Amino acid sequence: MHEFNWGLLIVIYLFLGGLSAGLFFAAGLADYMTVDDKPVYARVARMGAFLAPWPVAIGSGLLILDLGNWYRFYKLFIHFRWESPMSIGSYLLTIFTVIAFLYLFAWLTADERQWLFSKVPATWKQVHRLNVDISSWRGKIAMVGFPFSIGVGIYTGVLLGAVSARPFWNTNLVAQMFLFSALSSGAAALMLAMVLNKKSPAEKHEIKFLVTLDVVFISLELFIILPYLIHGQLSSLAVKQALGLILGGPYTFVFWGPFLVMGLLVPLAIEVYELAPNIFKGHEFHGSRNLALTAAGLVLIGGFLLRYIFVYAGQVSSFHQMGLLR
Amino acid sequence: MAMKKKRYALVVDSRKCINCKACVVACKAENNVPIGNFRNRINEERKGEYPKLSINFEPEQCHHCAEPSCVRVCPTGASWQRKDGIVLVNYDECIGCRYCMVACPYDARYFNEEQGVVDKCTLCSHRVDKGNVPACVETCPSKVRVFGDLEDTSSRIHELLATRRYRVKEPQTGNGPQLYYLL
Ligand code: SF4
Ligand code: SF4
Repeated sequence: MHEFNWGLLIVIYLFLGGLSAGLFFAAGLADYMTVDDKPVYARVARMGAFLAPWPVAIGSGLLILDLGNWYRFYKLFIHFRWESPMSIGSYLLTIFTVIAFLYLFAWLTADERQWLFSKVPATWKQVHRLNVDISSWRGKIAMVGFPFSIGVGIYTGVLLGAVSARPFWNTNLVAQMFLFSALSSGAAALMLAMVLNKKSPAEKHEIKFLVTLDVVFISLELFIILPYLIHGQLSSLAVKQALGLILGGPYTFVFWGPFLVMGLLVPLAIEVYELAPNIFKGHEFHGSRNLALTAAGLVLIGGFLLRYIFVYAGQVSSFHQMGLLR
Repeated sequence: MAMKKKRYALVVDSRKCINCKACVVACKAENNVPIGNFRNRINEERKGEYPKLSINFEPEQCHHCAEPSCVRVCPTGASWQRKDGIVLVNYDECIGCRYCMVACPYDARYFNEEQGVVDKCTLCSHRVDKGNVPACVETCPSKVRVFGDLEDTSSRIHELLATRRYRVKEPQTGNGPQLYYLL
């Protein structure tokens, strides 16, 4: 039996890293969207900014705990190895996390900032000097953060895609697949949070914005998964055998059922059903709460399953000892 | 005088292997390999049905690749390659991320649970540096293994590879494996 060197913690880490990237991206985008020069999606941006830093922070913590020697994690930052995706990714992730927290800070109201700094002992003068209003920087922080959020989204795929020993991963499509999955997870998580927020219920135009975003990202993801499957079928034997893991092999069901149908196609169908009458016939956008919740929930589960399938199936794939050759 | 370039490698005449596993035991003893882990193994390949049956035994361990993917992916430089081609792990630098294990196409590495680091065949570099051969080579009763320096034209390994037909495992990995199996 093949041993799995990477397990569920890596799956969770890749998912959470991507989720943060997607949340930040959606928040930044909402920040930039204006109608008649008015920031109509400011509440979406604020919610996104509040959520974005946490998943990646938790994910990085989990990754560190997963190390054989967790207290040596600092060694990641005393070396820089440009050939190692993990080395580059560690720096990328750290910078992104800092930017995401900065962005959150820029969205705090004056009251929230006061509350936050009231928790800091009065004698820590240096810390209190940080109590400044940087809300005017929001746009700039988002602009700087965009490439890093994309970078993190891509990195979660490259970490696997760069491993030449594993034919299941080693195609140039995995990075984009993970990126678009990350972006759509982010949009979905934001939708979930907006809809669930009882205090200030989401408005229809806000849900519509997020649904549109999600439709775009899911479609892009689908258009990468299709060529991934086709490319695999037309590729060398090792890749073909690796693809066999989801085409008849042990990961077939979870790939086609829970992931592709439930995690991509069904939410896409729901979102198109919601959006189409509005776009094509000019009807009012219904913005059903329950449908939005269902779609968003399914997208998140799908995003998690994509990582699950890739991390596990990829480790089984190799240039030797695959089913046919055994 | 400048040191002459060296490239250590192993030739394996797997047809002579009788699966006695003396090499596996010798390696475990020599290198204090933890219980349940192995640095070398004997792959069994069965063909046919009894009575028309054949079994091939194929010893395998780290191939000390010319282009080791384990070294490439290591984020800290803990996995590294000596000038003479031996691929080693610097245990003080290893954070135990196991990226190298995932990236090794030959499944040559194991995780040392107790120390939280990755480990593998060192080609007995501690013995080689003293002018001895690796423990598995010394032990093998049917002389399956030949250790030597490929750059040394007077060596037995050089002669074998010059005169005999051989193969390496899955060259398509691009790793440039340095375990040579005689045909
Ligand atoms: S066989 Fe694996 S561990 Fe050994 S050098 Fe090659 S890639 Fe590295
Ligand atoms: S487990 Fe150790 S040797 Fe392997 S890639 Fe990570 S740090 Fe490098």
